[in-house]
Amino acid sequence: MTAVEERLHPSPGPPGKDSARRPKKAVAADDGVILQVRGLRKVYEVEDEKVVALGKISLQIKKGEICCILGTSGSGKSTLLNIMAGLEKPTRGHVIIAGREVTAMSEKELAVFRRQNIGFIFQSYNLMPQDTALENVAMPLVFKGVPKKEREARAKKMLARVGLKGRMKHRPSQMSGGQQQRVGIARAFISQPPVVFADEPTGNLDSHTTTEVMEMIVRMARRYHETLIIVTHDGDIARYADRIVRLVDGAIVSDTENVSVVPREEPETVDQPAQTQSKRTKPLADSKQGQNQTKG
Amino acid sequence: MNDIKKARPAGKSPPARRNRNPGHSSPSKAHRPDKGMTRRDTILMCIKNLCRRKVRTILTVSGVIIGTCAITVMVSLGLGMQKTLEETLAQLGDLTIINIYNYGTSTEQPLNDEMLDTIRLQDGVVAVTPVYNTYASRWGNYTFSNGKYTYDGQIVGVDFDALRSMGYTFVEGDFPTGENGYEGVFVIGQDSLYSYTDKKGNYVQQTTKADGSPSDPPVNVMKDKLTLTINKSDQSNTKKQPSFKITCTGILTSDYQRNPSTYGVFMDIHYVKSLEKEYNKYNGVKVDKNKVEAYDNVVVKVQSMGDVQEVEDYIKSFGYNTNSMESVRKPIQDQANQQQMILGSLGAISLFVAALSITNTMVMSVYERTREIGVMKVLGCSLSDIRGVFLMEAGTIGFTGGVIGVGISYIVSFIINHYGGMGGDSGGMLGMASIGGSSIIPFWLALGAIAFATLVGLLSGFSPANRAVKISALSAIKQE
Repeated sequence: MTAVEERLHPSPGPPGKDSARRPKKAVAADDGVILQVRGLRKVYEVEDEKVVALGKISLQIKKGEICCILGTSGSGKSTLLNIMAGLEKPTRGHVIIAGREVTAMSEKELAVFRRQNIGFIFQSYNLMPQDTALENVAMPLVFKGVPKKEREARAKKMLARVGLKGRMKHRPSQMSGGQQQRVGIARAFISQPPVVFADEPTGNLDSHTTTEVMEMIVRMARRYHETLIIVTHDGDIARYADRIVRLVDGAIVSDTENVSVVPREEPETVDQPAQTQSKRTKPLADSKQGQNQTKG
Repeated sequence: MNDIKKARPAGKSPPARRNRNPGHSSPSKAHRPDKGMTRRDTILMCIKNLCRRKVRTILTVSGVIIGTCAITVMVSLGLGMQKTLEETLAQLGDLTIINIYNYGTSTEQPLNDEMLDTIRLQDGVVAVTPVYNTYASRWGNYTFSNGKYTYDGQIVGVDFDALRSMGYTFVEGDFPTGENGYEGVFVIGQDSLYSYTDKKGNYVQQTTKADGSPSDPPVNVMKDKLTLTINKSDQSNTKKQPSFKITCTGILTSDYQRNPSTYGVFMDIHYVKSLEKEYNKYNGVKVDKNKVEAYDNVVVKVQSMGDVQEVEDYIKSFGYNTNSMESVRKPIQDQANQQQMILGSLGAISLFVAALSITNTMVMSVYERTREIGVMKVLGCSLSDIRGVFLMEAGTIGFTGGVIGVGISYIVSFIINHYGGMGGDSGGMLGMASIGGSSIIPFWLALGAIAFATLVGLLSGFSPANRAVKISALSAIKQE
């Protein structure tokens, strides 16, 4: 709760600012831009043969933007995501997140940087099999050294938000795919990182659950005014984004703005679940799910 | 709450905190110093992981238990041997005594008072006394008498001050205090109490009293008035025999292990020398003035067994012959050390095998958890924390095995001491038959064994932990 307040206090009403700046294409380094990709190139060498995974990619993503990187398999979208998240080193080029050059960091610095600035949602959830939902969600806070009491309180709140209040003590094996991914979402957002990456977040889910999960991810990002970068091959998923970047053979072929199916909410409602709830009803496919969440 | 703190102008030096966490992008995050995982969480995670694979953990810990137990019991047997050995050697005589023999040793440095002073200054030397024996050439030069019975046995010239520190015990009395000088005072060995002759020259035999106790000595040295008379070397000497009043201050308890032995009469070396002059004067013996005065036998007492070798070597460097228990002790000790080495090695081998099994367990664990480790890395777990978790797991295996192993060792030790080695010398193993089976586990051994087992665990876990650190976050999460 305090964390949310803290986040909002320093810059009241950032979405307004953002939208005001939207039309401008050229943006200064700290002018609402949270992530910059400059001249990124990645070449893999496979048995003396060079495979260009990424050509020369340049990209700027603004704070609070929900950006979908859309591409078929082999388009280089996953490589781009990995490089942006600092999991892979580019052959050339720079990635700057929150004013810090990710591509120039050592492994050690990256670990600290990631836990403070980046959230991750995986296709295969990647939950710790032996840990309960609660422990899984609290894990990023463990790495930060947050005391148990505090992190469990925060994890409980997060789990409630993703509608898993009754499953806190369940292990991943006792939960459905959709539930597991919701735990994954709670985990990605618990430390409220400025940027959250989602790598095919619905790749292992059926269409019904996909809608559910995507709405949750986007709403969560909106709620905390976080920048969300979704990587997918699924055009349907792209509907949730504010911006769609299409990638073909390691190059950006189009970069268009999109009206998300989950519209931006007013910042005042961010911390009032009741109001959020009322606004949610329209885009929600399953109203029962919504009720569950209110309970949770 | 944290907001309030931050709002205060003189907060807890926020710049320092921010420096520590250069990754902070928003001011809201700067309120908590991010030091990575807490120790408590590391321990919890480690215990959780170990409990997850109970059987494997138990098997690995068992290996360490056996290893620790083997090493502890083996060393404890070695210590038991050492103790028995030292007790046996102590029965043979004082281990800190060095004898210097100078019979006919041609040396440019005579073994005289000056030389004794030199030796006295050597490190580790506690006391030095000449053993100036009248036995060989001066037998019968003097007679002790209470008027009725006479003693004409050996007189040994010694340094009473030195003798005092050599561990002699008394049946009665003590060494002379030296307050009034050492002239005319002596102590007598218990073994010489019956070496008297009557006026006819017959030995007074020790008989048994009616109650079975030995008969009283013919002369009560402590009470009777005694005189020392210088004998004639030639019956034609008509001069009056010089005689001196002498007093006995104590009777030494019989102890044949000692040199000078408790046979004979002990007097101050300078007094004995002056008596000798009297004798020469009385009997007109001409002393060769060119003859260098030198002692035949000198006894040196050193501080501890460890000093013996060095002091002995030092004395030998002057060309004297020496003798000490060291020459007896050393080969026995060497053999004992060798046995201890063999015993220790047996234990070490089993602990080494245990170490391999720890490494194996940890490598397997890292391999199985590749994905988890990758996820941890992606979620921002520090490399040092990942290493910490794995090292702690390995260390915990070592420590737990060590503690249980030492506990079992105490039980084994108890069994060996109470049921093994029955009948004293019989039984035993590996040539310890003569020493018997006794096992000693001092506190330092127990503590050392636990520390060693923990160290072995940590060392074994080192390479697997580094392997875990090197796992690429990317390949870990891709794998499926």
